[in-house]
Amino acid sequence: MAREPLTRAEFLKILAAGAGGIVFLRGSEDALAAITGVDDDLDQAALDGDGSRAAGLPYMTVVHGTPIETNVRTAIAKLGGMRRFVSSGDDVIVKPNICAARASKYAATTNPAVVATLVRLARGAGARRVRVMDNPISTNPASAYKASGIKAAVEKAGGSMHIMSATRYKAYDIPGGKLRRHPIYRDMLECDTLINVPIAKQHGSTGLTLAGKNLMGCTSDRGRMHNLGLSRTIAELNAKLRPDLTVIDAVRILVANGPTGGSLADVRRKDIVIASRDWVAADAYATRLFGRKPGFVPYIAASAAMGLGKTDLSGLNIKKYEV
Amino acid sequence: MAREDRDGAPNARRAPRDAPGAQPDGSGGARRRTGGWKAARNARRAVQIITFATFVYLLFGGLQRLEPLPFADIFFRFDPLAALATMLSARAWLPPFGLALVTVALTVLFGRFWCGWICPLGTLLGWLRFRSARRLSERVPAALRRVKYVVLGAVVLLAALANLTLLVLDPISLLTRTATTSAIPGLVYVVDALERAGMTWGPTAGVVTVVEERLRGSVLPMIQPRYEQAVALFLILLAVILLNVLADRFWCRYLCPLGALLGLIAKVQILRPLVGDACDRCGACARACRLDAIEIVTETGHGSPAGRPRPTAPVASVVTSECTMCLDCLVACPRPGAMSFGLTARPGPWAPYDPGRREVVVAAGIGLGAAVLLGTGVARAIKHPGLVRPPGAQDEGRFLSRCLRCSECMKVCPTSGLQPSLTESGLEGLWTPVLKPRLGYCDYACNACGQVCPSGAIPPLTVAAKRTRVIGVAVIDRDRCLPWAADTPCIVCQEMCPVPDKAIELGGQRLITRADGSEDYLARPTVVASRCIGCGICEHKCPVEGPAAIIVMPSDPDLAGGVPQG
Repeated sequence: MAREPLTRAEFLKILAAGAGGIVFLRGSEDALAAITGVDDDLDQAALDGDGSRAAGLPYMTVVHGTPIETNVRTAIAKLGGMRRFVSSGDDVIVKPNICAARASKYAATTNPAVVATLVRLARGAGARRVRVMDNPISTNPASAYKASGIKAAVEKAGGSMHIMSATRYKAYDIPGGKLRRHPIYRDMLECDTLINVPIAKQHGSTGLTLAGKNLMGCTSDRGRMHNLGLSRTIAELNAKLRPDLTVIDAVRILVANGPTGGSLADVRRKDIVIASRDWVAADAYATRLFGRKPGFVPYIAASAAMGLGKTDLSGLNIKKYEV
Repeated sequence: MAREDRDGAPNARRAPRDAPGAQPDGSGGARRRTGGWKAARNARRAVQIITFATFVYLLFGGLQRLEPLPFADIFFRFDPLAALATMLSARAWLPPFGLALVTVALTVLFGRFWCGWICPLGTLLGWLRFRSARRLSERVPAALRRVKYVVLGAVVLLAALANLTLLVLDPISLLTRTATTSAIPGLVYVVDALERAGMTWGPTAGVVTVVEERLRGSVLPMIQPRYEQAVALFLILLAVILLNVLADRFWCRYLCPLGALLGLIAKVQILRPLVGDACDRCGACARACRLDAIEIVTETGHGSPAGRPRPTAPVASVVTSECTMCLDCLVACPRPGAMSFGLTARPGPWAPYDPGRREVVVAAGIGLGAAVLLGTGVARAIKHPGLVRPPGAQDEGRFLSRCLRCSECMKVCPTSGLQPSLTESGLEGLWTPVLKPRLGYCDYACNACGQVCPSGAIPPLTVAAKRTRVIGVAVIDRDRCLPWAADTPCIVCQEMCPVPDKAIELGGQRLITRADGSEDYLARPTVVASRCIGCGICEHKCPVEGPAAIIVMPSDPDLAGGVPQG
């Protein structure tokens, strides 16, 4: 999350929230475990990590295989577990790509199982609430939430779908010099943990749409970003939002006619999930799935130039797993 | 609103109701028990509140919802005028309107109970009263009551000629249209403004958040609804309300075509307030009547000077075609046995202002004249470029003969793209829905307009079927399109296109050299008309300022994919 210098009021709020969190944590750990059915080792590992802390956690995890839920749990477990990102009492927002009212098999929207597993893990880690939201570009949210299958999966997993209201956008100062001041959905900045869950897709404007582009769903003024040039403004928007965790859904990828797709002929099944705290590196890695290099997506380079993450993957501790 | 005191005028037909002396309660053995009628009147008031609240609830039950409440249009289905006109015009039995027969049957029993108990516009006009009405209503000529029959005749005759234009005067249609286009958008605007203000202050921010979480997407619409002509449409309802300055429920007395239709049926009303022998012509009932529907016979007839007059005709009578069954007269009557509520086979009295041959002729003249003039409109010769109808409503003749102008479809449209037409289909199609894609597109995932349409003018289609209905075809303006006109990369229309094979082709990127020597990779979009369904999301999202560089035009429904494009 973006952290600005704290005002006194904010500091007091954090103190209060922290105190509340401690009280909540003490009283509810057992209850939470019971609710979420945390029983087998993988579930515990996905929450707590797999004990590899001493050896140094991987920079990025790339997991191949099904079932999707196991895949995601492994990716998070190997990355250090959900408790690394979500503390007890946290207000968590999961931001998938739900750009269209299409079934997930069309690979226009994030896989519901990926989203739901993250919701479950966040709940298991003690999140006070987990909200899932997007601002669909090509339809209304109610249709998109339902048709994508995400609504049903999320609600079953203990999260809630939030309809982004025009009244909750607020103009913020943006670092980087180009956007300067831009409307962002306030909840995205006010929440404790922001988890970005894009689906990997071809995109006419930016080559591919991955994690960086997905956070354009947090603003009400996309047009201005187009006008000012997408590469730099996407980088700046991400610099402001600073997602805590990025999980790229490449279970199915859309290789043409993105971002809204609509034809199964453009879909490729990959069964891959990529997780990292560094979304730039995750995006850079994901370009490989399309047979591309990071340079193919201009906003990735622009973001690296702003120091938001790494595009040179050669020296990074990237761990691959099969499930 | 307080009522004006007119005690000074001895023959005043309208004195303050419930005034001291009007009910000589406790006058010995002649004490009249009005408690029962008071209870009935309270029941009427309660029913009015309930039906009005239901109407408002249903307005929101069909507001930008993909799955509108199944009975959001129930008031239209009970509306005999809408039923009669639409079935005449469509020349078909329309099953949803079968419920109107219930209203007709109940009207034979109870007269214009619809007006006094059910009609949301009547209820609204009953609540919004003005002090001046008591004084001014005497000056409104009673003959004006004939106007509503003329309106009714014109509506029905025009409908028989397959034209529903005058159904804009149906009270349910009028009220729904105003609520859709101005009242609800105004309310949403206020709520959103309050929310924005409330969010800036800690203590209220929490409340706003709760309101948002609970109501957004169910009660509160997903986007701010906006309608062309909102102010004009609001002013029409305001004028109807302000006519109450002249007389209580002016619209219901003088203008309402539905009231006229029910009034004609009520001539044979079976159960109604009856005036009995005990009546001494005191006029309390007439003074109590808000519709001035009670006639007092002034000559006394023969009778002994010492005793009660013995009239040969009833001394007072309720004109059933004007009575809205509010029951106020029964509450007001001070004499036992003077008024009762009972069964009669006798037709209601024929009042001097009831319609005659002349009204029939005038109505026929208006109806025929309107049909002829509307028939000569230019809209029938030239298809207006903006005449993009909702999915499934492409047969213009069929559509116009079924559309009630109720605006339910516009209210439910999640993008607010369906707008009341003004010129697109001529005066003939006034306030029928047209898609204005620049304002809002036809959502690929939505079939709501066909679900809420009361008359089937927009057919109910499954989402899958609706996706195949061609409502128009997109045309690119190459003089405005960024890649074509300015060598600026842009593919927004293509990426938004929802059809599986994409109706917009980019044809690959080409390296271009601009006049200033700069080079860029550019793809120039073209429309594949055979795949385009005319949803208009391309026009809506086109980033060019002002009119879009890609515009949806009406297409010939018989041609797959509309018109070919060069």
